[in-house]
Amino acid sequence: MSTRQASVHAKWIIGQVIGTKMKKTAKVRVTRLVLDPYLLKYYNKRKTYFAHDPLEQCTIGDVVLLKALPEKRSKHVNHELAEIVYKVGQVVDPLTGKRVAGTQYLEPLTESTEDTEVSLKEKLEQLNITASTTPPSAS
Amino acid sequence: MPMKGRFPIRRTLEFLQKGETVFKKSVQIMTVNYNTHGDLSEGARKFVFFNIPQIQYKNPWVQIMMFKNMTPSPFLRFYLDDGEQVLVDVEGKDYKEITNHVKMILGKSDKVLEAEALAKMELSNPANFGPKKYFLRECFSEVEGQVPHPGFVPLPKEMTGKYRAKLAAGSDE
Repeated sequence: MSTRQASVHAKWIIGQVIGTKMKKTAKVRVTRLVLDPYLLKYYNKRKTYFAHDPLEQCTIGDVVLLKALPEKRSKHVNHELAEIVYKVGQVVDPLTGKRVAGTQYLEPLTESTEDTEVSLKEKLEQLNITASTTPPSAS
Repeated sequence: MPMKGRFPIRRTLEFLQKGETVFKKSVQIMTVNYNTHGDLSEGARKFVFFNIPQIQYKNPWVQIMMFKNMTPSPFLRFYLDDGEQVLVDVEGKDYKEITNHVKMILGKSDKVLEAEALAKMELSNPANFGPKKYFLRECFSEVEGQVPHPGFVPLPKEMTGKYRAKLAAGSDE
């Protein structure tokens, strides 16, 4: 058979990296919502995929976008790393472009720094700290 | 005996089938980033609570992933077939607004859905008979008002073959 269909059903997949011990390969866990037939509630079902990562840029815990390869690279590797969506510890908020940690911004949202410097000088002048002329009485 | 849970109506088939958002074929992945506390994420939380099961029911081949407390502001992200990403800011919006917005940008329109439903109906014509797997009825005798199979209900004496044969033989002599 010379003409083969795509090696997997889904072209794009998102998952979390769980292992990077293999050379140039990342182990990615992908969760899909599956309906329980009796409870009629959706639960996460896990499946692990292996992805080709030529530059070894993934660390454990990254959220990663995988693209299906046109042909199987090896027995288990059918996908390659398309992009790292959220790098662990260095999440970037896509709306503002700033680095973020949980619900806090790590970088300030407004760019100007001059205001803080000027007000600090003014505040110091206002305090009027001078060395006292009379030395303290030595006992 | 009432159902268990906070809003158990979410777990009924009728509720799941009421979902109107059917994604276009190019949508592969849907990602929801939201926060568990804070008023601005309230709409996103309600969206995840009520509408995500409906969306997943209507689009079983779309991968939906939820991320909690990763960024200060909530948003939705769609990954399309050609590599394109669609970012939807959801901060401060009501969950109904979010559903309508998503349906407008990436959902199939009502006309398209109706056309698909019509095409599906045309495929299964009730006038055809055959195996139960593919057709409604197997034999015309299953229709109300028609003569049923003698295996289920014995035929009246006048319609049986042997009575008619006896009559014909009797009239011949």
